[in-house]
Amino acid sequence: MAVVAVVTARGAVPAAGWREAVRAAASALVDAGAAGGEYPDACVRVVERNGPYIVLTKGLALVHARPEDGGLAVGVAAVRLAAPVEFGHPDNDPVDLLLAFCTPDPDAHVGTLSGLARALSGGLAGRLRAASGDEDMTRILKEALPDA
Amino acid sequence: MALDRRLEILAVCGVGMGSSLMLKMTAEDALRSLGVDAAVENTDLSTARGMTPDVVIGQGMHTAEISDLAPVVITVSDFMDKDGLEAQLRERLAERGWL
Repeated sequence: MAVVAVVTARGAVPAAGWREAVRAAASALVDAGAAGGEYPDACVRVVERNGPYIVLTKGLALVHARPEDGGLAVGVAAVRLAAPVEFGHPDNDPVDLLLAFCTPDPDAHVGTLSGLARALSGGLAGRLRAASGDEDMTRILKEALPDA
Repeated sequence: MALDRRLEILAVCGVGMGSSLMLKMTAEDALRSLGVDAAVENTDLSTARGMTPDVVIGQGMHTAEISDLAPVVITVSDFMDKDGLEAQLRERLAERGWL
């Protein structure tokens, strides 16, 4: 299983729309050194090209682009919005929580995302929503990804 | 008619790396509960077009584009909803005699 290099989280992030929300989540990976500066725009383009399918469950978007779009290490970021935004998803809007990830190659993230899927099934989204702030969110996310 | 081989299931999304991987895990959990032996793969929409799975699963905005790719096409809004997917798989696989 690949080691998660970076886990980071931010709460109460302002975003005027889904593009700002996606950029905020991806920028947390850039700021943490896991992704290059081109990554946030690439994540926005994924949604522009393929639709709002990244809103994969009620209120939660999984933000990412391809490894060649600036993935430097396996990283996971959680961002909680100050106010929810609409992505245009037929069932899962509005979105208040975004999980962003990046990976340096098409396989390095598989173990991490599997862990993330298990954690989401186990109530991770609710724990992140109830967290008191950035540090609490980061702690919860790290606990959910124990190889980090 | 029952298949004489392992069921092949494809989870699709736009990029084929994140959402479809989550869906694949949910599908594997659901298939385990149903006692179905299946190989589940995940990929992006354009790669999917060249494949011949028995079942394809994805969001409506994607399955609408590949509705003739497989004998069974299942649309899922919530990729983390194992119970909902299990119910759809039970019904649709039973229709084919694949349960």
